[in-house]
Amino acid sequence: MESYSGRRLNGVIKGNMRTEPPNLLIVDDSTAIRKILLRVLHQTGLELGQVLEAGDGKEALRLMEGRDISLVLSDINMPNMDGLELLRALRGSPQWHDLPVVMITTEGGQARVEEAIELGATSYVRKPFSADLLRDKLAALLSK
Amino acid sequence: MTQEQAGRVIPQQNEMAEMLFAATQEVFTSMLGSEIQQLSAPEAERSTPFDGVLSLIGLAGALIGNGALVCSAEMACDLSSRLLCAEVSGVDEQVLDAVGEITNMIVGGFKNLLEAHVGPLQMSIPSVIFGKNICTRDARADVVVAVRCAFPGGEFDLTVRLATARK
Repeated sequence: MESYSGRRLNGVIKGNMRTEPPNLLIVDDSTAIRKILLRVLHQTGLELGQVLEAGDGKEALRLMEGRDISLVLSDINMPNMDGLELLRALRGSPQWHDLPVVMITTEGGQARVEEAIELGATSYVRKPFSADLLRDKLAALLSK
Repeated sequence: MTQEQAGRVIPQQNEMAEMLFAATQEVFTSMLGSEIQQLSAPEAERSTPFDGVLSLIGLAGALIGNGALVCSAEMACDLSSRLLCAEVSGVDEQVLDAVGEITNMIVGGFKNLLEAHVGPLQMSIPSVIFGKNICTRDARADVVVAVRCAFPGGEFDLTVRLATARK
């Protein structure tokens, strides 16, 4: 698993306290991976709000409209709109500019990692991943 | 034989087989909780029709071609069950999706290793076929790598076919 640290998680915060559990969004065209990520998220033991699922970037943007989302976990290789296009769209939006986005992908090549970092990915996790390591990483992100 | 393309050395067939097996081993260890063994290489081109599941992912860059996983329906269910930690009774959309994702991770891992030698490669999303009397044939491939793997659930075959991209 490869990763780097980045932006702080923006939950639903009033004053200095997060008052509501964070809503999350999983974006992957594979239902199998979405199920695995959902299981890993629940294994963090943290209180979660809604965990939404999208099959591509376009569906993700549509689901995010009018919602408070605290963290996005996104694949890169997807039909219609891939993960890098989604990241570009989020970073170009005033509402989602600082939203933490973790890329979870088989694309482990240095060029792709650098592209994702330059586009503002918060963290980068390469598939296949160890569920334990991913759980710890997500728990750390969600606890901030 | 090692081939050279645009100043880059394309790994030999046996080196590519090692890369493919290493990528597969990583997927099985990390995601399926199982060790695998490499058996003797299977026939790369399936001229004899077979029944089961064929999962394909395209590769493009300095080399073009595809990576494929072939297994029986029972094996596809077993792989899916291990990935999802859930019982599976028969081949359905969930099973085909899981086999596609396993292929994606294996071919992706192989691609990441190969990129160190041949430069950036692009991957397609997986296409998974389930049926009877499946045959495969490739019009042009300079390198064909075939690996047969075994694990407690049975055996499956992996094949990568690559050709140098025409300019």
